[in-house]
Amino acid sequence: MGSRSMLKQIEKRAWLRTFEHGLWDLGIGSVFLMFGLSIVTNFPPLSAIWVASFYPALRQTGRKLVVPRVGQAEFRGRRKRALANTTWILAAVALIGVVTFGFMFWQSSSDTPIWAEWISRHFVIFLGLIWGGALAVSGWILILPRLYVYGALMFGFLFATDFLDGYHLGHSLTVFGSLIMLTGVVLLLRFIRRYPKQDLSTVENHEETE
Amino acid sequence: MKKLSEEGSPYEIDRMIHEPARLLITAHLYVVESADYVFLMQNTGLTWGNLSSHLSKLEAAGYVVITKEFVQKKPHTMVHLTEQGRAAFDAYRGQMKSLFDDLPMG
Repeated sequence: MGSRSMLKQIEKRAWLRTFEHGLWDLGIGSVFLMFGLSIVTNFPPLSAIWVASFYPALRQTGRKLVVPRVGQAEFRGRRKRALANTTWILAAVALIGVVTFGFMFWQSSSDTPIWAEWISRHFVIFLGLIWGGALAVSGWILILPRLYVYGALMFGFLFATDFLDGYHLGHSLTVFGSLIMLTGVVLLLRFIRRYPKQDLSTVENHEETE
Repeated sequence: MKKLSEEGSPYEIDRMIHEPARLLITAHLYVVESADYVFLMQNTGLTWGNLSSHLSKLEAAGYVVITKEFVQKKPHTMVHLTEQGRAAFDAYRGQMKSLFDDLPMG
């Protein structure tokens, strides 16, 4: 193995270790779960309330659970860009959801043109393609194969919603979001068991006295 | 045959990096912008005492910078490779590569 490929291995292992905790899965799953619950309960502000309260809590969980166990590193170059790009993609996923649901409410509440009706009849498939594609692209950027599975599942769920009678978009998104969040919880529990908490205060205080 | 330690030898090896534990530390710091102690402990498998001692040597050589800060009233130490450290690691990589590339096939 050449020195460059060994360094690549070191970098890749360190990079992948920062995704073992499942907090990304909890974050992604919560977006879809809340979209689903917003539709089921017919209460759109639920998503905004959830995002405003859940994401700071998720960040805090990262500080309390992840940093004392595997530490913290700032990556260079393409990894740094990968994180920034994925954040933009996931923000776009949320925005597309908001715009789509706004469109749905507008379409169902007024006299709409034919094109709007056509889109609204099949919008679930487009939504599945866009959201599933966004998840797959994020998986490719971050080198996280499980995001490919999430992308395929998302498309499958929404495809079924559009073609099978009795399926409801709100329920599909709720089930899909719950599945991803459940995966996140399993990963988080496994992470906590695998990496015991390092006693940072002892380490840092010892260092202070040196 | 030239000795490895002979001054000016193309095969003079930077012993500050060549030591296995320090090689691991510099390799990990080379691939990131900066990292904290826990990250380095987890990824290199070194104990805190070992890590601290080797980082002190690397700091004294000007290869790393250790920054102490407080995050939510708790001390937090970040380490990053200096330009000098990065250049030294690049030179070490080049030396090792040419050293083994030059070996005749046994």
